[in-house]
Amino acid sequence: MEKEEFVRLCQSLSCNNNHELTRAILPVVGEYLALPNKSKLPVIWIETNDSGDNNIAFMNTTYPYLDQVFAEMIDLLYSNTFMAAQGSDALSILEQASLMYKSKFVLVVEGAVPVKDNGLYNIIAITEKGAITALEAIRQLEAAAGHVVAIGTCASFGGPSAARPNLTGSAGVRDVLKREIINVSGCPVNPDWFVGTMAHLLMYGRPELDSLGRPVLFYGFTVHRHCQRRSYFDRDDFASKPGDIECMFSLGCMGPRTGADCPYRQWINHVNWPVKANTPCIGCTNEDFPDGSTPFFTTLPEKSEKDEEKKSTSLKET
Amino acid sequence: MTKQSIIFSPVTRLSGLLSVEAIIENGRVAEANASGTMFRGYEWIMRDRLVTDAVYLTQRVCGICSLAHGAAASYLLDEIYDSELTENAQYLRNIMFAADFLQNHIRHFYLFSLPDFARMPDRPPYLGQNLTDARLGFSDNERLVGHYFEAVKAAQESHQLLALFGGKAPHQHSFVHGGVSVAPTADKISQALALIRSIGDFVKSRMVPDTELVARVYSDYYAIGVTPPRLLSFGLFKFGKMNENNLWRGGVVSDGRYTLPQAQLINEDITNSWYVSGQEKGEKGEDYLPDPYKPHAYTWIKSVNYTGLPYQVGPLARMIINGFYSGGTSTMDRIYARTLETLLLTELVLGWLNKIKPGPPPINQKKTPVKNEATATTDAMRGALLHSAKIQDEKVVRYNIITPTVWNFAPKDKNGNRGPVESALVGTGIPRSDMLFTILGRTIRSFDPCISCATHILDLKKNVEYEEVF
Repeated sequence: MEKEEFVRLCQSLSCNNNHELTRAILPVVGEYLALPNKSKLPVIWIETNDSGDNNIAFMNTTYPYLDQVFAEMIDLLYSNTFMAAQGSDALSILEQASLMYKSKFVLVVEGAVPVKDNGLYNIIAITEKGAITALEAIRQLEAAAGHVVAIGTCASFGGPSAARPNLTGSAGVRDVLKREIINVSGCPVNPDWFVGTMAHLLMYGRPELDSLGRPVLFYGFTVHRHCQRRSYFDRDDFASKPGDIECMFSLGCMGPRTGADCPYRQWINHVNWPVKANTPCIGCTNEDFPDGSTPFFTTLPEKSEKDEEKKSTSLKET
Repeated sequence: MTKQSIIFSPVTRLSGLLSVEAIIENGRVAEANASGTMFRGYEWIMRDRLVTDAVYLTQRVCGICSLAHGAAASYLLDEIYDSELTENAQYLRNIMFAADFLQNHIRHFYLFSLPDFARMPDRPPYLGQNLTDARLGFSDNERLVGHYFEAVKAAQESHQLLALFGGKAPHQHSFVHGGVSVAPTADKISQALALIRSIGDFVKSRMVPDTELVARVYSDYYAIGVTPPRLLSFGLFKFGKMNENNLWRGGVVSDGRYTLPQAQLINEDITNSWYVSGQEKGEKGEDYLPDPYKPHAYTWIKSVNYTGLPYQVGPLARMIINGFYSGGTSTMDRIYARTLETLLLTELVLGWLNKIKPGPPPINQKKTPVKNEATATTDAMRGALLHSAKIQDEKVVRYNIITPTVWNFAPKDKNGNRGPVESALVGTGIPRSDMLFTILGRTIRSFDPCISCATHILDLKKNVEYEEVF
């Protein structure tokens, strides 16, 4: 399949009856892998400071399900969550994989990276020689990786792990490494965004990215643009409380300045999403999530007024 | 006499980052230090924000038990804003909560724990499994590995059931103070019924017999990983207009004696945790601050105890306290009790779905706080969870979160008392050095470790005015 066709598939699928992007991906990947000299995408996944929600979100992928992704699409060589190996056996695999698949493997980072105090707030493993911090680990893997993918908003931009007062000096991967990062943000990520990005990397390399380093095919439009409740907004018909069926702008909805395809892709086998659940979008794919989104239930213009106050609030004052 | 110190790091197949260092003497574990090696400081993140942000923000403490934090925060806000919950709201909340439990328990048994007992296929992510004590016969092994892949779908369906009502998962949106913002339509209820029947079939025909098989073949684990017989639960599944009743009662069991939990008997200790009092760092106030350079400390997890003694929390505690299970406190008891609870949950969800009357969103949020502080307790997947807040003008002054992890993974306190995980490991026989990870891994995972939850650093006693919270 040509790249342009694949991108069109990703975007248009969301509008037809059979809108599972990933159901369509697997056969395409199978076709590709059947070509001579093609193999599954080698992946090294390092978990840093986050809640682990992105690996859970990944487990929720449908068509292909998680086991199909493992069997037919990627070779997940190192992952604290999924790998059967443990202890020093796991670390040996990390070392071997980074050498064997040098400049081919995709480094997936899940979580923000604490920088303060030499990164001691996140230690990925302890060896006879001492602790390996997340900061050291990803800096060491940086040069060997073919691509670097930040999964979730913590890894992409700092996210909740870097929310004020940010005691650990946590930052997104883009602020720690010196190379291009593909940010697949979201709190958590929608599994389609991640699996789709991996499929693109496998078959066509780097996808087109927006100004925040995110694949345009998933983050290119605002939630507001395609929201089912857009018609309520256009005639100033606003919800007065969670549970109402009108536009959620009045309840703090971040849709107008949040890039994501939630309104049509939806979540967990595509059954629901926050606005359909009669609550506001809280802008979880954004660069300034969550500090730019709280107070969650205050309208966008009022939130922005409070931004200035927030910036002046230092740790000592709290 | 042989004495050897070993490092088991990273302990994989869990949430977050965990390492264990141990001393092996004459083929037995003589001492063990369990280190949670990540810190995010969530209690500080809550400060100075509107308390109504708590439901969505505290869910980000934990990806695998997000709804438990959302629930605790909602109960807390219900008290602050004096909510009255309709029956539909109570059922819907408990259905969503139980769905997140199902997701967690199915994933824990198959994705995290099963590779401790069954040989996985020889391909990523299962390379280097090094299962040195594999006892399942070929056909049993193949069947259980097949069920691992079926479990992927059953767990996904559990989250689909949650998201049907909750908007998304992890980090659902509709379970907030005052009720639930989604309408339980006939359409949603019937979709949910189809899902719970499918999940229930999986649990009955796969997970229960698989657990029984593992328990039979590895029956020596009923004598391995035994903790002192002290169990604690805050109760689970709130019913009543004011969340006043727990369907599953809370309790404290010590040597077979049952009492009701009392918050003022909870104590905390930072002797071996990377925290110091703010004054030591030249700060004003009485807060603890993180200090990764603190000598002799070995974990980001605080030590929490009850009447000065460590208590085990989790499915085993709930099942024993509620009379559903009457075994011991070993590694296999913990695994068995979790599966038993999974089965009970599928039956509860089915019953609750049949009791909902289709209707509008069961939510009524009041605008004005009637209290400036509140404490909410519940059990999460891994055990007792407490959220507590002090507010001023609806803004958070202090927010405390005591997670199950700080009970089970507590480091040694100032008197040298070991937390449940450490005491379960000490005494374990290691017949051959190549069996070390296999044997210790089974016991550690039987607690369903979640280290991202190790968020608690504030001192509860300095922050909470005690009242009857149970």
